Amino acid sequence: MNQMNTMETGQLKQQLKEQIIKFLNLTSVTPDNIKDDQPLFGEGEGLGLDSIDSLELIVLLNREYGIIIRDPKEGRKVLVDINTIVAYIEKNRTK
Amino acid sequence: MLFIHQTTCISPQQTFPEKDINLEYLYESSDNKLKARDPGYENIPANQLRKMGKSVRLGMGAALPLIPKDPKGIIIGTANAGMEESIEFMKQIIDHNEGILSPGTFVQSTPNTIASQISLYSGNKGYNITHVHAGMAFENALLDTAMLIKENPLNTYLVGGVDEIGTKNHNIDRLQSWYKKELVSNIHLYEADSPGSIAGEGAAMFLVNGNKTNAMARFKALTTLYSEDEDIVAGRMQWFLDDQLRTGENIDLLLTGENGDDRLLKFFSACESIMDNETTVARFKHMCGEYPTASSFALWIACQVLTNQALPQHMIKKGSIKKEYKNLLIYNNYKGMQHSFMLVSKIS
Repeated sequence: MNQMNTMETGQLKQQLKEQIIKFLNLTSVTPDNIKDDQPLFGEGEGLGLDSIDSLELIVLLNREYGIIIRDPKEGRKVLVDINTIVAYIEKNRTK
Repeated sequence: MLFIHQTTCISPQQTFPEKDINLEYLYESSDNKLKARDPGYENIPANQLRKMGKSVRLGMGAALPLIPKDPKGIIIGTANAGMEESIEFMKQIIDHNEGILSPGTFVQSTPNTIASQISLYSGNKGYNITHVHAGMAFENALLDTAMLIKENPLNTYLVGGVDEIGTKNHNIDRLQSWYKKELVSNIHLYEADSPGSIAGEGAAMFLVNGNKTNAMARFKALTTLYSEDEDIVAGRMQWFLDDQLRTGENIDLLLTGENGDDRLLKFFSACESIMDNETTVARFKHMCGEYPTASSFALWIACQVLTNQALPQHMIKKGSIKKEYKNLLIYNNYKGMQHSFMLVSKIS
């Protein structure tokens, strides 16, 4: 059971990375380039996303997983890295 | 009147960057489209570049080399910039039932995105405006600039024309028979005896002011008109020349926007018939394709001819290569309705 959950989470992470690349037009990035714990925002170690990208991610979560993030404070906790977003999707997805 | 000091152009030909300009070699069209050659945009940060629509990339890419001159204003002419994103945004509204919508396409969905992006990137807080009058968009941008320079001759302005081949716009224009139904290469564009042209795109930028010193060309005058009557168009051209040329002055080169559309040939024939035998007639749409602001490409070509005193053989329709080009007249025609004449001359 644990192994199955781990595999599903892994698939979801891979799928989410592909969706982020497509939604944000990250043409020079592949899913393998994005680490699960890599910060999405900020330069340096981060993926370098900005405030417009955060809105795009909110649209992505709504369209692909039926999730609506209304509270900006909640958004700041969720949109940290792949791990935090996937954990939130697994808990709150409606589709 | 204004003086052109520096120019850049991203087009379907080898026109960018300046050190690599090669107008002798003609890149061929594909599928009746002449798409702009992507210069790589190394000066634009990757995180900004990925959010830009094509016309914004073209405009920003062409403008960036001129921005260090710190112009007092940015004046852009574009008919369709942002249209692709605008249509995509409206499609989202329908597809997602007016729910949560992607902000990226919205941000880029208006024509003034180009001028504003140039401004944001460069920190230029001066005059910033976009003219959108279809086939007269660039001409109106020039007119606006000329009026600004008349008031402040020492101010330098960035003025440009930008348009892209958008999927939706191309389909609409194709269905309205503005593009050829049969496959035609740009190399044989003027031999085609059929309606329509081939699609094109590009961005041409100009740094201008009222100071003659070190200028590359003098933009003497501009006139525009709406007409479907070739006699009226030719009459305006004659009036324009009578008004602008001094006694003894001639037009050395008439650069026309002939585009392979047999329905529009009557306009070009009428205008060419006014010229004397000494005037060389050349064409430019086989290099850039047809788009609403193609006259900006023509002005860029005129600056090249005046600066280098050279004209590629493939551009010539009538006459011969001259030893000296002093006065150039550009005649452009968009969809057989919007006409413009621009008189450009060598700095003496």
